Amino acid sequence: MLKYKHFFLLPGLIVLVAIIIFPLLFTIRVSFSSWDVVKPGLDWLGGKNYERLFVDLRFWEALFKLSLMAAGSVLIQYLIGFSLALLVWRDVIMKRFIRVLFLVPMMTTPVIMTVIWRTILHESLGPANDIVRMFGFEHLTWLSTSGMAMFSVILVEVWQWTPFMFLLLLAGLLSLPKEPYMAAAIDGAGPLRTFFSVTFPLMAPISAGAILIRLIEASKMMETVYVLTSGGPGTATETASYYIYIRGLRDYQIGYAASLSFTYLIVMIISLTIIAKVMTRKIIRD
Amino acid sequence: MMRTTYLLLKYTAILIWSSFVVLPFLWALTTSFKTAHGITSGATYIPWLQYEPSLEGWKVLVRTGGAGINIVQPYISSMVVTVGASLISLALGTLAAYGLSRFTYRLGFIKNSDIRFFFISQRIMPPIVLAIPFFLMLQYFGLLDSIIGLIIVYIALLLPIATWVMVDFFNNILREIDEMATIDGCNPIGAFFRVILPNSLPGIVVAGLFCLIFGWNDFFFAFILTFTKTQLLPVAVVALNSSVTPWWSLSASALVSVAPLVIIAFVVERFLSSGNMAGAIR
Amino acid sequence: MSLLVQNLGIWVDGVAHLSDISLEFQQGRLYTILGQTLSGKTTLLRTIAGLQSPQKGTLTLHGQDFLELPVWKRRVAMVYQQFINYPHLDVLANVAFPLLRAGVPRAEARQRAREILGKIGLANFENRRPSTLSGGQQQRVALARALVKRAEILLLDEPLVNLDYKLREQLRDEFQNIFAGQDDAIVIYTTTDPDEAIQLGHELIVMDEGAVIQQGKPLEVFNAPAMIRCAEIIYNPPMNIFNGAIQRGEILLQGGVRLPVPWHMGHLPEGTYRFGLSTADISIGGNIGAEVELSEISGSQTILHLRGAIGSFIVYEAGVYHYSMGSTVQVGLDPGRIFTFAVDGKLISAPAATAGQER
Repeated sequence: MLKYKHFFLLPGLIVLVAIIIFPLLFTIRVSFSSWDVVKPGLDWLGGKNYERLFVDLRFWEALFKLSLMAAGSVLIQYLIGFSLALLVWRDVIMKRFIRVLFLVPMMTTPVIMTVIWRTILHESLGPANDIVRMFGFEHLTWLSTSGMAMFSVILVEVWQWTPFMFLLLLAGLLSLPKEPYMAAAIDGAGPLRTFFSVTFPLMAPISAGAILIRLIEASKMMETVYVLTSGGPGTATETASYYIYIRGLRDYQIGYAASLSFTYLIVMIISLTIIAKVMTRKIIRD
Repeated sequence: MMRTTYLLLKYTAILIWSSFVVLPFLWALTTSFKTAHGITSGATYIPWLQYEPSLEGWKVLVRTGGAGINIVQPYISSMVVTVGASLISLALGTLAAYGLSRFTYRLGFIKNSDIRFFFISQRIMPPIVLAIPFFLMLQYFGLLDSIIGLIIVYIALLLPIATWVMVDFFNNILREIDEMATIDGCNPIGAFFRVILPNSLPGIVVAGLFCLIFGWNDFFFAFILTFTKTQLLPVAVVALNSSVTPWWSLSASALVSVAPLVIIAFVVERFLSSGNMAGAIR
Repeated sequence: MSLLVQNLGIWVDGVAHLSDISLEFQQGRLYTILGQTLSGKTTLLRTIAGLQSPQKGTLTLHGQDFLELPVWKRRVAMVYQQFINYPHLDVLANVAFPLLRAGVPRAEARQRAREILGKIGLANFENRRPSTLSGGQQQRVALARALVKRAEILLLDEPLVNLDYKLREQLRDEFQNIFAGQDDAIVIYTTTDPDEAIQLGHELIVMDEGAVIQQGKPLEVFNAPAMIRCAEIIYNPPMNIFNGAIQRGEILLQGGVRLPVPWHMGHLPEGTYRFGLSTADISIGGNIGAEVELSEISGSQTILHLRGAIGSFIVYEAGVYHYSMGSTVQVGLDPGRIFTFAVDGKLISAPAATAGQER
């Protein structure tokens, strides 16, 4: 039996370890070197990169801005996604058409759609300001002031990924048991009370799962920022990934970028684990 | 009365969200028929009425040479890389998933659940963390800027996805079916290929679609690991996003790039609405 | 020529699924293993098939170590309680599958598969997918696939349990003919249904909590269950057990009920015992009062769950009657049919064998 079971797992496992674990270990090693454009190669620098990183405000700010944009966009995605799922959960006309329509954004190539969004948000030639003016408001500085730029990034992320929330939450709604609803109806609960005392609690585990998956994906955010704002104006929308990209593959400070990316990975794993723990504990307690 | 109000609100909300969803597509569509003049005169929407339509944005896509931005080559490269990496990931992932679903592995303190988690946890890895070693590795092997190099990198991206989908699928196939095959004289490998694989088409289709979507949509690795010889579609489109942007060809190429995905969206919806995909085999 | 099981033991997380099982199976005979769910029946079959490995013990077939062989090299066939067929193959291909794997030429395999399908009543379903058949037909396909390869050991794990009552009866009757053709095979059949075990088997093995608690000819076991647990398993409904004693030439049951000592218990010394009476040997109308805890109607019988001074017990009454909960009925016990067990559960005396004699 021994040889047979290895036939199945080993090829995939070996490939994955070779393509991911080996490079990851290499990153860790490089992070202790001074590899850069002047002097490429592995030397031993000790913890100097980490000392530098520790006082590199731009990196910590990038992490902060990342968490702001990730949390903001995921929260909005959740609220809209849940609302939409509730709207089309039961009877709705053109059910399948609406579902496909709601799914499409998450299927389309993020960078390409972001390029289109950039033309939409163009301050003088794009339709975004045209629409704003139509409602009688002043035209907005979508990409050129820091607050608005962050909002624009979130807007595009919401457009792209709300469908994913919608999909998971709709699947969750469709798999809910019928009995609690009958009980609520017998108790004479109105739609609002039914939602808060039945639907929402029953959906808590799936909500937590969907939010967590989206947070994981959002914390890697970089492409939207690269295409939409290039991290700007200034460094207003610079995320951790994007900053590491600039240091590593633009300035070619390979060693330093490696220490940044390893730190980024650790921070991410720790914070996501804490978030996951807190959410599951809260669900279990309720 | 309340019911009418509710319905009115409901369909208004659906309509608003739908408009938001289709806005970029419609905007790209109308922009793709504009000329430089049609764009610099501000936001316009309706051809003939507001601007004079032109096919320039579309023609330029297949034109080679100086004025052209030929996206045929990137399109083919994207297909080769996506399909190639998807097929390899599907093959390796399906086998690994079957192993994880049916056998018990143990290596020191590492158990099945840990190996499964290792596969799935790769989704947490930010691409940038792997970017630097990938860059150096491909450089070392002379695979930078090549199709083969990209396929290898994309396997890292797609293999966890394929494995994840297939483990779930295999867990829903009765183990007794494999056992019966071994009782009927197949060794485990024979049981897999003769009995389980022919019954796994629904799962493989779903896993394959996931692979195709994620492969087709990746930009980052294609962006940092290719330069001039090899160019994938997203990189080619984003390259048009310069300061003097030819919005018409940008829009046209964007639409051409995402068109296959919209078709896939319909297929995916069919699978989702056919309910529990594992149910197809029971 | 026999299959020898010796000291077989399987423990999972400290719980014995099989503990020290030793059995001998002879060629050309049908063994029924009777036991409740989780009694270890399925584990035993799976171990014989090679799907599970024991932590201790040996399996030998014709004097040859059987444990060393992987599943696909053991010549066994198996039918599961779920209807297991290959969903992607039609009925004929399903049945021909094991033959093709064994290297039988295609034409011959199809021919043999057709023969078996004819015998089992599925001749017209050759080109159907199993999923388009009814449950009973699906199980027939599984059975045909098990029979077609003429395995040395044929294992049937509660093959009828997921079928409805009518079909179960029908297939069970057919089984006797089907298995009659398997002269060179060892057939092992597990079931939770005592009637099925007694009707089908040449030999009955009663299992409980991973151990064999009795083995013998079905009627012998039925007429003399070796212990109370056995009597509970092989009687359907389970035998009623009353605590009591023999004192001064009388049977004294709990609650002061006295019965004369019948002839077959005459030799027993005075002392404390546990007495067993099957539901058939308790009748309505008598001098022992009991309260109705629950009454249900099954077919043309009324099943009464009663509680009285002598304990809780079950009575079957022919005919359909309505009792209200809490009402009192009078019952009579037939002392001539009493099984006597020691306090630790071992059988001490059984009434003269009557069960099965009329068959």
